[in-house]
Amino acid sequence: MNDIIVAILRSGTPLIYVTMAGVVAQRAGIWNLGLEGLMIIGACAAIVGIVLTGSFALAMLIAIILCVLASVLLWFVIEKLKANPIIAGLGLTGLGLGGTSLAVQAIFGSQAAVTAPFGVPKLGPAFGPFGVLSIFVLAMPFAVFAMWVLLRRTRFGLRLAASGEHPFAARSVGANPSRMRLAALIIGGVLCAIGGAELAAGSLQIYAQNMTAGRGFMAFAAVIFGAAHPIGSAFAALFFSVVGALGIRAQLLFGDAVPHDLLLALPYIATVFGVWLSGKLRGGRKAATGFAELRDY
Amino acid sequence: MDNPALECRDVTVAYGSVMALSGVGIAFERGKIHAVVGQNGAGKTTFARVAAGLVRPAVGELRINGQQVKTGKVKDARAAGVELVHQSFALPPSFTVAEAMEFGSDRGAAIFTRSALQKRWAPHLKSLDVNVDPKRRVRDLPVETQQGIEIARALVADARVLILDEPTAVLSPSGIEMLFERVRKLRDRGVTVILILHKIREVLAIADTVSVLRGGRLVDGPVACAEIGAKRLAEMIVGPAVARTLASGDADAATGRGAPAAHTANHHTPADAGLVLDMRGVSTLSDAEGPALRDLSLTIKAGEIVGIAGVEGNGQRTLVRAIADLVDATHGTLAVGGVDVTAAPLARRRAAGLRVIPFERNTEGLSLSSSLWENWSARELLQSRLLSAINPARLKKRCDEALQAWGVHYATTGQQAGSLSGGNAQKVILAREVDADAKLIIAAQPTRGLDIGATAFVWQSLREARDRGCGVLLISSDLDELFDISDRVVVMLSGEVAGTFSAPYRIGAVGAAMTGVSQ
Amino acid sequence: MTGKFVSVLRGLIFIVIALALCGVIFQFAGYSALGMFHSVAEGAFFRPGAWQQSLRWALPLFITAAGVGISFRAGYFNIGAQGQFYLGAICAAFMAEWLNGAPAFVVIPACFAAGMTGGALWALWPGLLRLQSGTDEVITTLMGNFLAGLLLVYVTAGPLKDPSGSGQQASSRPLAAAYRISDSLGLSPTIIVIAALVALAMWLLVNRTAFGVLASLAGRNPTMVQWQGATVWRLGLSSFLISGALAGLAGTIEFMGPNGRLAGGFLPTHGFTAILIALVANLSVVGTAFVSVFFGGLASAALYLPIMAGLPSAAIEIINAAIALFITAKSGFVDRLLAFGRRSA
Repeated sequence: MNDIIVAILRSGTPLIYVTMAGVVAQRAGIWNLGLEGLMIIGACAAIVGIVLTGSFALAMLIAIILCVLASVLLWFVIEKLKANPIIAGLGLTGLGLGGTSLAVQAIFGSQAAVTAPFGVPKLGPAFGPFGVLSIFVLAMPFAVFAMWVLLRRTRFGLRLAASGEHPFAARSVGANPSRMRLAALIIGGVLCAIGGAELAAGSLQIYAQNMTAGRGFMAFAAVIFGAAHPIGSAFAALFFSVVGALGIRAQLLFGDAVPHDLLLALPYIATVFGVWLSGKLRGGRKAATGFAELRDY
Repeated sequence: MDNPALECRDVTVAYGSVMALSGVGIAFERGKIHAVVGQNGAGKTTFARVAAGLVRPAVGELRINGQQVKTGKVKDARAAGVELVHQSFALPPSFTVAEAMEFGSDRGAAIFTRSALQKRWAPHLKSLDVNVDPKRRVRDLPVETQQGIEIARALVADARVLILDEPTAVLSPSGIEMLFERVRKLRDRGVTVILILHKIREVLAIADTVSVLRGGRLVDGPVACAEIGAKRLAEMIVGPAVARTLASGDADAATGRGAPAAHTANHHTPADAGLVLDMRGVSTLSDAEGPALRDLSLTIKAGEIVGIAGVEGNGQRTLVRAIADLVDATHGTLAVGGVDVTAAPLARRRAAGLRVIPFERNTEGLSLSSSLWENWSARELLQSRLLSAINPARLKKRCDEALQAWGVHYATTGQQAGSLSGGNAQKVILAREVDADAKLIIAAQPTRGLDIGATAFVWQSLREARDRGCGVLLISSDLDELFDISDRVVVMLSGEVAGTFSAPYRIGAVGAAMTGVSQ
Repeated sequence: MTGKFVSVLRGLIFIVIALALCGVIFQFAGYSALGMFHSVAEGAFFRPGAWQQSLRWALPLFITAAGVGISFRAGYFNIGAQGQFYLGAICAAFMAEWLNGAPAFVVIPACFAAGMTGGALWALWPGLLRLQSGTDEVITTLMGNFLAGLLLVYVTAGPLKDPSGSGQQASSRPLAAAYRISDSLGLSPTIIVIAALVALAMWLLVNRTAFGVLASLAGRNPTMVQWQGATVWRLGLSSFLISGALAGLAGTIEFMGPNGRLAGGFLPTHGFTAILIALVANLSVVGTAFVSVFFGGLASAALYLPIMAGLPSAAIEIINAAIALFITAKSGFVDRLLAFGRRSA
């Protein structure tokens, strides 16, 4: 049983951090589809940083700086150049995926996976069977709680939510919605760096090309599933991870009776189901995501 | 008068090529109620937003209590004590009342629990006579309460100048009375209140001084209300050029001058005219856009204008959507032009002669980023098969002819609908919806936001359609408009018919029906 | 039209900005930006035979992009072209397998029908979910891409596996030469004719039918066409189906033409590039045709870079992504730049 919980926490923690990043952005009114790109940047920077500097703290600093810079670029393009957030987000994702493989090629001369000598510090034997987990796993519930307080129980959170829901209202009390969105994306950048680092350096200490494999998009789906509520979205992300972990467990049990690739599909199917369900629960109403270049309101 | 509460000097605001305000200089004395009037498009809202720091003028300065304040900075304007209550309220609908108070505040702990928040704001709401549970969500509250909350929100800080932008537009006659009571109390507490209004009757009822804007310029003011008559005020609002072209009844209705009861019907629908709308016992479910209709019956004869009055949000929108098949009827029957269309989709209802001028011109009536010819031909194209061939050149030519006939000012049929002024845009909708085959025209808030010339044009067009034998269903929140052109006025309350009135109308009786008070 | 001219110019300016960003990234990663762009241009258009290669990539991209354009026009953010493309290829492969041995004039049309149907069906379920219960199509189509990718890996390693195949990547049995519609260079009269027919049909659909006008209106303002009496279902589902069918057609062409077999994860960026093409072309059919050639060039340069110039092909991925980042930008200083010297009317 413990190993299942360890597996779920391992796969769930990176997803939950990135989901929190999506939640802040969503509340501020930005559909952040760049999460996938930010996450891979975080993963790559953490591992490469450890290899190059030999220090975990420095590696995290590099990952956070790069993710925040990329987030600021996204903010600039969406807010200042009025680009469509979905397309710009997909562009940022592409930039992250391409940029990381270019960087690895440039630094190591090949695109092979990079292994680091150590990863995120572990909890240690004091935690018994959970000692193999990283400190980010332990910090995760606190991060979710902190996000909940920040977004739901502070004036900053109210103004952030107003910036997303009714920017004019935010403006008329003197808040600047554009700056609130910048703050949201910067917070999201930090969270994505942690999520990416946990993915690559939390247990395996290895970075491989495209290793996020759509997790950023899944995090985004968890945001929608959880109605951008920090705790609800965190549980949605956890649900996707449980489905994934159970799939792998099923494979160990049944061997080749169930095709491997179809089990890998379970989290994606769960995501579709989750988004469908949340749409259903909200009475079929849909946020206006249409192609804004063409839409006139 | 030294150190006026609020002073604008030489304020000029341009939106693109349109001058919203040009060279407006005005000063408001402390501790009084000041009215700023003008027709739609005169620059009233822009003026209010400049004063509140939401809009930065190209030129001009703003002084509050004699201190110059940086323009275009809400924070600075609020710090100096200027607060603005918007016409369409600026409260995030998902917020609770307490949250709506808190997010506008700058004092107290920035981190809180729900109950602390409620405790913090309950006394404030109470002191302003806003009786509402601070736990409730803004979107679930009636408009009067939302307005009360918005005013309370504006007063969370130490407001010395309170500006209300068209606060009466959404209220019933008794709601207006309550608002005025609240405003007088504020004045007695020493707050300078600036009311943006557009009805002369209301100005004379509440304000100490009045200033008139027209076409972005200050015509006169502030003038003491005691020194100016309703007639002179109406002339200042309308302007000499438009005044000559207006029928006097329309001019009075458009400026809200005198008691609207004065109008009498000058049109008699033949008693034997057929029914163009026959709604019997229609019920719907409520949804996000409005309350349910409950067993509602309504008939309109050919050659009759029926007005729907009611406080916004009492099912007027659901009524229109039920007739246009945008919400499903659970019970009842519906016939348009003598054809039963209870189960028919909107396209078939339109084929039976239904035409709709929707509530929101810019979202429901037109696609602003599409060309005029596409907008104009949408109704016709939807009557043909999806894959039927079209000839754009011919459609454009016919669109040209139609728009010319309606006197639309435009350059080419290829230009975007969003490039037209409000009045011209409404004419494009009229050109599409008021055609020879129309039997029943639903006009939902057809003059909202239009200046007086365009308003009178719309009224005249509806009257002409009626005289040709169309039935017209007019939904409006403006009683003057309803009384001016309706042959019959039906009042809606909570999705039901609360009363039917015919000319001469008595505002007291209609107003009582709107709020459900029996007289 | 000056409006059109301005929007083309604006697009070009943002592409230049995107390329500048790429240059910074290249330089930062330790490559010479100028050298990189030079090699890209050479690989795309200026080496012998470059144009033929670029067209080979441009045609399937054009077909997919034309479909993406239809659903974007109608206001649906169907970003599942990649999955629909895969499903087209998979269905065509199954059909070819099933009919193996029948005469070519039977097999080829049947494969095309199967491929287009497969693509359309892969667009149908997100469409139904969207129209029936408001499920956001951005996520469903995106997840559809991942699912289709897994399905492709599964069929190439399972039901359709080539037993003689070796190497790391599993692939399907090769298509019999008689059923191929082009050699591995990928440019044949059949493919050119198909692309031309798609271009004509889509142009007529967009510009000369009621559907075209109504779909554009619905895309810009769905509320307005509803008040005019449109059944959003019909407009919406047909645009989903058309875009899916065209992506499926492109998948079929890739399978029956240049590739001749399926391989797990082949052409993984086809759908994304097609979305970009549609956006850069501002959804116009004619524009899509021209823009496809540019991106076809980049696709062919992606193969050229690592082999001939010793540069990583991720450079092309970065260029595409940077263009995506900027292409929908519309206001700010570029518009002021474009308005420079003109009086605001």
